[in-house]
Amino acid sequence: MAAVAGKLTRADLNRVFARMLFVQATIHRRGMQNLGVLFALDAVKDHVGGEGPQGLLAHHGEHFNTNPNMVPVVLGGVLRIEEEGGQNGPASVSRFKQACASALAAAGDVFFGGGLRPLALTLACTFAIYRFFPGLVAVLVLYNAALITVRYRGLSLGYERGWGLIEAFSSPRVQRALVLARTGAALAGGWLAGVIATGAFRQGTRVFITTAAVAVLAWLAARRGIPASRLALALFPVAWIVALMLH
Amino acid sequence: MHDLVGIAIIAGLLALDDRAGWQSLAGEPVFSALVVGLCFGHVAAALHCGLALQLVWLSIGAARGARRPNTVLGGVVGAGTACLSLHHTGDPRESLVIAGAVFCGLAAGEAGQWLDTRAGTAREKWLERFRLPQDANVATRNLVVYTVGSALYIAVVSGVLAALMLPGSLALADVIVDRAGTAAAGATLWLAALPAIAVATIAHAFATRTLGRMAAVGGLLAVVVAWLL
Repeated sequence: MAAVAGKLTRADLNRVFARMLFVQATIHRRGMQNLGVLFALDAVKDHVGGEGPQGLLAHHGEHFNTNPNMVPVVLGGVLRIEEEGGQNGPASVSRFKQACASALAAAGDVFFGGGLRPLALTLACTFAIYRFFPGLVAVLVLYNAALITVRYRGLSLGYERGWGLIEAFSSPRVQRALVLARTGAALAGGWLAGVIATGAFRQGTRVFITTAAVAVLAWLAARRGIPASRLALALFPVAWIVALMLH
Repeated sequence: MHDLVGIAIIAGLLALDDRAGWQSLAGEPVFSALVVGLCFGHVAAALHCGLALQLVWLSIGAARGARRPNTVLGGVVGAGTACLSLHHTGDPRESLVIAGAVFCGLAAGEAGQWLDTRAGTAREKWLERFRLPQDANVATRNLVVYTVGSALYIAVVSGVLAALMLPGSLALADVIVDRAGTAAAGATLWLAALPAIAVATIAHAFATRTLGRMAAVGGLLAVVVAWLL
């Protein structure tokens, strides 16, 4: 593990990282992740923050909300800026935090919510359809390995770059990673759709036609913002009644 | 009684992961059902149930703050219903039992979301009362208390809700299986057609030209591989 340049040691960053795993535990409407951020920063409050032990925490009690996987990146940057004396005062650190939080929330949602997570879930569903248990376990392991890497390296990157983080996240490489994740998810999603279609075809004409009809209905419902779960619930009594009528 | 405690512990731990901690995907129905199946037997039936629920709840790029059913509760209660129903009744019509369990899981997910939001209000009010103390040691202690307390609250509420929902879910599944009669074909057809919802979700989520093409390539590949095999 590479040594870190700064007041904080690798062990300090590890403590911050461990506490950041619970950033969602204290999420609430008014401050969102602010208590989680305070809890994580509390691990190093004796080493960073120019106004005594209370200084660091006193700067970071305000509202904070970003993608949970991106919190380490922001906090790494915050720790670096605080360590350097919080260039231009607490207002500046706060501005940095809010700017990074907004930008990384969008990037994180696209990467994780629209890319990596659907990719993992569609692959998991495909393996579950084929009853391939090692595949299911592999998806879980690989997804979590990716999460650990992003979060842990994110903390280190933020701590290395400080203000330079904004520049790093404006680079084309980040955009390419986002596009790649979405493209991979689309490919895996298409694969899953193909597996479902062929599976329905194999079960006979009746299942295939019903599947096609439900797919069209669900697509129309999705366009109108009707939750898929409620559609599925509503279709159960319909299927029940139709079966009774046809018998 | 042991079953209820087991389901409560599984739901609590998975909720801790999904809502308060790492978010490892273990709380998603396809994985949680596997855990339930391994604990209660009938792994294949539990996985079938979890897969059906996952395909319905396959949220791709859901908007920030979008309302989603409680997938942890739905998955655990649905898979638990499938396992325990098959275990207690020994009904040979496995597809019908799973269809009933999936219906119960979907309902549990919706009810769980509503109940959990109400229960979460008390937790949020408590968290909003947090004020940073002047003393550094007190601040550390309070932050630990609030974080651990909040995480435990989430786990306990999910565990209790799962334990409360399971008996009702089992009773409902029994009614569905007992009264199905000639409607059993409709219920099993419903279960077979549920994955279509995932197809619609995928088509809707990747509706742009580039992503749509990639999805079409993926679909075509799956069809070709299926045809070759």
